[in-house]
Amino acid sequence: MLKVPEHQVAGHIAKDGKLGPLVDNQGRFYKPLQGDARGENEAKFYESFSSNKNVPDHIRGYFPVYHGVQLVEASDGSGKLPHMVLEDVVSSYVKPSVMDVKIGSRTWYPDVSEEYFNKCIKKDRATTTVSLGFRVSGLKIFDCQESRFWRPDKRVVLAYKADGARTALRKFVSSNSLADDSVPDCAYASEVYGGSDGILVKLLEVKAWFETQTLYHFNSCSVLMVYENDSGGDERRAQVKLVDFAHVLDGNGVIDHNFFGGLCSFIKFIQDIL
Amino acid sequence: MHLKAPEHQVAGHIAKDGKPGPLVDDKGRFFKPLQGDSRGEIEVKFYESFSSNTEVPDHIRRYFPVYHGTQAVEGSDGAAMIVLENLLSKYSKPSVMDVKMGSRTWYPEASEEYIQKCLRKDARSTTVSSGFRISGFEVYDHKELSFWKPDRKLLNGIKVDGVRLALRKFVSSNTLSDTSSKPDAAFASSVYGGSNGVLTQLLELKTWFENQTFYHFNSCSILIIYENESIHEDGARAQVKLVDFAHVHDGNGVIDHNFLGGLCSFINFVRDILQSSDESTDN
Repeated sequence: MLKVPEHQVAGHIAKDGKLGPLVDNQGRFYKPLQGDARGENEAKFYESFSSNKNVPDHIRGYFPVYHGVQLVEASDGSGKLPHMVLEDVVSSYVKPSVMDVKIGSRTWYPDVSEEYFNKCIKKDRATTTVSLGFRVSGLKIFDCQESRFWRPDKRVVLAYKADGARTALRKFVSSNSLADDSVPDCAYASEVYGGSDGILVKLLEVKAWFETQTLYHFNSCSVLMVYENDSGGDERRAQVKLVDFAHVLDGNGVIDHNFFGGLCSFIKFIQDIL
Repeated sequence: MHLKAPEHQVAGHIAKDGKPGPLVDDKGRFFKPLQGDSRGEIEVKFYESFSSNTEVPDHIRRYFPVYHGTQAVEGSDGAAMIVLENLLSKYSKPSVMDVKMGSRTWYPEASEEYIQKCLRKDARSTTVSSGFRISGFEVYDHKELSFWKPDRKLLNGIKVDGVRLALRKFVSSNTLSDTSSKPDAAFASSVYGGSNGVLTQLLELKTWFENQTFYHFNSCSILIIYENESIHEDGARAQVKLVDFAHVHDGNGVIDHNFLGGLCSFINFVRDILQSSDESTDN
């Protein structure tokens, strides 16, 4: 029995009869193959990536596991449609705080249509993409004070400037109330961002791969950050995953300098909080 | 003061049609006319700030031209000029390459017109695809005993393979104007490699760029220079310098991710040439 994911923060949402991803109770995420070649492109990437011997194992861990394509009853009632079957990155978490950060100082790439280029560049300039090399796409943070999730409106998130992005990253690891204007206390910064298995260490591993990998250009991809808030558990289990590969292209012997630059900038923001 | 036009300028404005161009003296100084519409002002502001910025480490300072203030120079209608270190004065037969760094040459603070102009140029060149573009270069041919410079228009149209070829030609000794013989990359290890070579210097710069948030070096170039005179006996004395600061803006607590990405891409191109030339000499 498939249902709408609880913790999705960005992308199309399967709600009110709209087409969107679904999850099962076995840790799998079903992403409908979108029209206009994007879905096909994403599946093509996953096929290539899962069988690419040049990707080191420790890097493979930063990508959702791929389980092929399956015909599944679509969320908008349009019948059985092909869906990509992926690892549900948040399924093992009870109360996950999740943040989606789109990496790169541009989300467009060579040879796109003029229409797509104009749409992308407008959004890139209006958000922190051009100035910071990344933008926060969505977030859902567990507010310990209020004991519920805090999820700012999408329009508010897209309007973030540098300070907004900084504040969001601080709030992501704070224990005090998120909804008001109180200064985020960053109480969990060292547990979530820091430590030998924290987010910073993981981002630095990804960065090291991007310094030389010329296999793929991850246009418009996001870094998903997740950690556990459930007070029962001992660990935060902070995770970093790359997601959204609808616009990935061949690297053709050139590094993904766009992603690399943005990732370095994002890393600096995290380091500054630590 | 005896001033003349510089001999080995590969990119940027040259003295033409009554418009002022840069000049050099015989004391190792380079005189750059202050460009109009605030660009000259921005460049001076950068040099002033940079020379007095105590947080720039010394080993990074060597990658920037020494600044000697501004001066009104006779014969240039009393117009002010920026006085800099002449980067080529210690070289007798320098090969020089100018590489504009970054996957975009525009920046948020620029005018809409300027942004559109840059976008067009960036898309037509390797800037968007590779994170940098070769603005110009001049290389000494050890067989012909003369300098060779590719046609500017040709250079503007090159793609990724053209960049690779240019980077090989830049460190070759064989006849460059003869397109039938492959560039030998004879000087790849002396120029690009070694403990003081171009690659080592670029990697030092990269480390600084991963952390510095003082400046955003929009549209800046990296100049690569090396000596051809007695290269076999005395080595190449390769030097990397950052130049052209007319569009530099404050970093505002953010790293220069645009320059950094392009620099990392450029480093990979140089490393590839170094590795392929090392492999061919092993055969």
